[in-house]
Amino acid sequence: IRINDFLRGESGGSTVQERLQRRNQARLEDAERRKEAKQSRSVAEERTEYFFSTFNSERASIEEVLSGCSGADRAAVTQKLEEATVKTAELQKFLNDNMFVLNQYQLKTSQAALQKLQASIAETREEALPKKKFAFRARTKAADKAPVQVTATPPPADSGSDRADGPPASEQCGFSNVNNELLTKTAEEIQNRDVLLTHLTNCKVRLFGSPSTLHLKHIDGCEILCGPVATSVFVDRCRNSVLAFPCQQLRTHNTTDTRVYLHVTSRAIIEDCSGVSFAPFSWSYSGIEEDFTVSGLDRDRNNWSQVDDFNWLAAGLPSPNWTVIPEEDRKNTWDP
Amino acid sequence: MGLLTILKKMKQKEREMRLLMLGLDNAGKTTILKKFNGEDVSTISPTLGFNIKTLEHRGFKLNIWDVGGQKSLRSYWRNYFESTDGLVWVVDSADRLRLDDCRRELGALLLEERLAGATLLVFANKQDLPGALSKEAIREALALDDIKSHHWCVIGCSAVTGENLLAGVDWLLDDIAARIFTAD
Repeated sequence: IRINDFLRGESGGSTVQERLQRRNQARLEDAERRKEAKQSRSVAEERTEYFFSTFNSERASIEEVLSGCSGADRAAVTQKLEEATVKTAELQKFLNDNMFVLNQYQLKTSQAALQKLQASIAETREEALPKKKFAFRARTKAADKAPVQVTATPPPADSGSDRADGPPASEQCGFSNVNNELLTKTAEEIQNRDVLLTHLTNCKVRLFGSPSTLHLKHIDGCEILCGPVATSVFVDRCRNSVLAFPCQQLRTHNTTDTRVYLHVTSRAIIEDCSGVSFAPFSWSYSGIEEDFTVSGLDRDRNNWSQVDDFNWLAAGLPSPNWTVIPEEDRKNTWDP
Repeated sequence: MGLLTILKKMKQKEREMRLLMLGLDNAGKTTILKKFNGEDVSTISPTLGFNIKTLEHRGFKLNIWDVGGQKSLRSYWRNYFESTDGLVWVVDSADRLRLDDCRRELGALLLEERLAGATLLVFANKQDLPGALSKEAIREALALDDIKSHHWCVIGCSAVTGENLLAGVDWLLDDIAARIFTAD
C-alpha cells in the first residue's frame, strides 16, 4: 500500500483526477443536504397546516356540542358538557404536543382560542346547571352589626390590609375622592416624593415640580399635568382623560380612551388598554427647566412614540390598542 | 456515599447558584439587578420577557433570572422555577394599593412544588421614597410570619441608592450555602 501511495503521489495526473472526483463527491453530498433541508422545511410547513386544520375542526365540533346544550334536558346537558370538557382537554394536549411547530404568535392565538372554549363551557354550565346559591345566615347579622362597631370603636389605623385598600396615609402625598375641582400642588410639596392620585372625576390637576414617582388610579374625565417625574409613572384604570408628564418609564394598565402627552426617556408600555393615544409632551410652566434638572431626565431623549403593548406580541403588526395623535389634533396651549 | 452526598459534592465544586427574581411590575426587579451589577439604572425599560445575569460574588457564581412582572407575563413565571436555589421577591413598598395583589401572588408561588426547596428573600424596595412602608409593615401586609414552608427574610432596600442590596444578597447566599454545600 505504501508503494501505491508513493506511486500515486508521483504521478500528477491521477492526483488531479482524484481531486476532481472528490470535488464531485462533495458537490453531490451538498446537493443531497440541501434537498433534505428543503424537505424538512416543507415538512414543518405541512405540520403547521395539519395542526391548524385539525385544531380548527376539533374546535368547531366542540362548539357544536356546546350549542346543542341550550334547550336540552338536564341529563343531556350534563352529558354534553362532559363530552365538551373531555374534548377540550384533548385539544389542549394536542396543542401542547405540537407546540414546537408553531411560532409565538400562532401559539398565543391557539391558546386564546382554547381559553375561550373553556370559558364558554363554564358559561354554558352556569346557565344550564346553576349551582345552588350558598350563604351563611350569620352574614346578614354581622353586616347589621358592623356599622355600629365602627362608630363605637374605630379600627386601629395600622392594621395591615385595611391600610392597603384604604385611603392613603398621611405621609403619602396626593389627592383622592374628589369631583369637579381644580387641584394643584407646588414644587415644595411634591419634590422627590411619591405622589398618588386616586378616584378623581372631572378634575383638573396641576402638579408643579418634580416628584420621584407618580401613581394614578381610578381616574375618569380628568386632565392631569405633572412636572418631570424622576422614575416611573404608573397608571391604572383611567378613562376619558388627558395626561401630560415627562418621566423615565410609563406603565399603563386597564386604561381606555385617554390621551397622553409624554416625554419618556426609556419606554412606555400598555397592558389591557384600548383607545390610548400618544403625543410629545407639550405642557410648560415657569420653573420647569429647574425641575428637569432635579429629576435628572434627559431632555434630548424622548421615546414617546415607542410604546410596547404587552397584549400584542405579533411582530411586524402595529398594536390596535394605541395610536399617535395626529399633529393637527394635538393640544399645545394648556392654561391661558 | 449516598446520592445526596454526591450531589452536594458536585454542587460544591461548581459553587453555582440560581436565583429567581420575581414580583409585581414596577417593583424594581431589573433596577436591583442592574444596580447590584454596577450598571446604569437610568435607562431601564419595563421588562418585556426576562433578563439573565451571571455574576461572581464572594466566590460564588450567581445566575440571576429577572422575569417581567406584568400581569400578562406572570403565567410564564412557572417556566423559570426549575432548580431555583433562591427566590427574591421584590415589593414596591410605596405601592399600598397593590399590596393585596402582592401577597396573593407570593402566596401562590410558595405553593409551587418546584420552588419548595428555595430560600425566600423579600426585598421591601423603594425605601428612598417618603411614603414607603417600613419592612415591618411589609412583613405584616404580606403575612410573612405565616410562612413555614421556606426559610425567609425581609430586608428594606433601595435599588436607586443601592442601600442594603448587598446585605440582602449576602443573607440569601449564606442561607443557600448552608443548605446545599457541605459544611466541610
